[in-house]
Amino acid sequence: MMFKPQQYFRPLKVSEAVRVLAKKGRKSKPIAGGTDLLVDRPEGVNCLVDLTRLGLGYVKSDKNVVRIGACTTLSQIEKAQCFRKGVYSVVKEAASQVGGVALRNTATVGGNLCRAAPSADMAPPLIALDARAKMVGPGGQRTVALNSFFKGPGVTCLKHNELLVEIQIPKQPDKSGGAFVKLRRSSVDIALVNACVRVTLGEERKCSDATIVVGGVAPTPLRAKRAERALRGRMINDRLIEETAQIASDETRPISDARSSAGHRRRMTRLLVRKALRQALNPRDEEGQFR
Amino acid sequence: MNIELNVNGHKHRVSVEPYRVLIDVLRNELELTGVKKGCGRGECGSCVVLMDSKPVHSCLVLAPQAEGKKIVTIEGLSEAGELHPLQEAFIRLGAIQCGFCTPGMILSAKALLDENLNPTEHEIRRAFSSNICRCTGYVKPVQAVMEAARMIREGKKGG
Repeated sequence: MMFKPQQYFRPLKVSEAVRVLAKKGRKSKPIAGGTDLLVDRPEGVNCLVDLTRLGLGYVKSDKNVVRIGACTTLSQIEKAQCFRKGVYSVVKEAASQVGGVALRNTATVGGNLCRAAPSADMAPPLIALDARAKMVGPGGQRTVALNSFFKGPGVTCLKHNELLVEIQIPKQPDKSGGAFVKLRRSSVDIALVNACVRVTLGEERKCSDATIVVGGVAPTPLRAKRAERALRGRMINDRLIEETAQIASDETRPISDARSSAGHRRRMTRLLVRKALRQALNPRDEEGQFR
Repeated sequence: MNIELNVNGHKHRVSVEPYRVLIDVLRNELELTGVKKGCGRGECGSCVVLMDSKPVHSCLVLAPQAEGKKIVTIEGLSEAGELHPLQEAFIRLGAIQCGFCTPGMILSAKALLDENLNPTEHEIRRAFSSNICRCTGYVKPVQAVMEAARMIREGKKGG
């Protein structure tokens, strides 16, 4: 067993956590829920910086923005009032499908994003809602579009001594609906493919805007931009949904791995995007209704 | 490092390296072997304990992170030798075969019943989403939770 860090810090302030990570360098690792780190058990880690007492577990919403602290557990997100209804419910849908109930009680949204698996479940809904990621480092803070946060499988734009502290979701356009779908084998599996869409209706029920994000089919979560363009400005009907789903599938660059073949992922993208679009436009219950 | 753990209502001071995980401390230092280590990766749920009333994988909780939390293991469910309705129902209905998943399953069920004393079958199965059982097919465990809920609703102690 090569994972034997000898030092453990439990700071109460973000600035202190950043300071320790900078001082200890690459042998130090932040830990929140630990549900990835304690499975990976990377070699050569000498120091752990516990993030769970930094006060970063919160969901706060006002009329302009919803802020999610990076250390908010997926259970907390499931229970938050503001994700109950409307297009914001895609965040809750995704959170509720990560692992099983026990995992969600310690796993955090920040951990899910920072691990940067191409199939990360929290990425598609947050990207689809135009979320931004706020990071803090020794030089201060910076905020980037979440879409730009991911650089490759397991790689984000965070520098070693930077911490993701908050996700910010801007006020969503009126008359928007959304849906999140995840393809997996059983109740605790990682996604083979996942997808989230947000559709905004304008005059005469024409689509005024759309975001389509697919995970597990490219090195990072994929904005299917050609598919989005196919929808914009047009009246949405079954045939357009089919066309759009096919375009999204054509945009994917999946690999074959233990979970699935590339071809299967490509084919499933079409089905998932189609399902998500139908669901976004015809929600099964009162959640997700167009306002 | 020295840490203080609150387990089943008792405080324990233990000396552990920072990288130790909660399940190992519970089983070794505290000799609470009701909690089982099936996979050590948070995939099987035999390690589930309650932390501040919520089920967690104790194989994925760093021991120092458990400081300041209330931990409940299966040993902490019975009071003064009297079985909790969940334990009684699991036994009476034959919901235990090899027994390896049982402590984790019962604790997951306890967390559910603490919030909802009238669960549907779907809600019970969802509460078991972190617990793998290779023996029972989940049928009798689900029935046992229904029965335990009924017992608690009808006034048998164990809320």
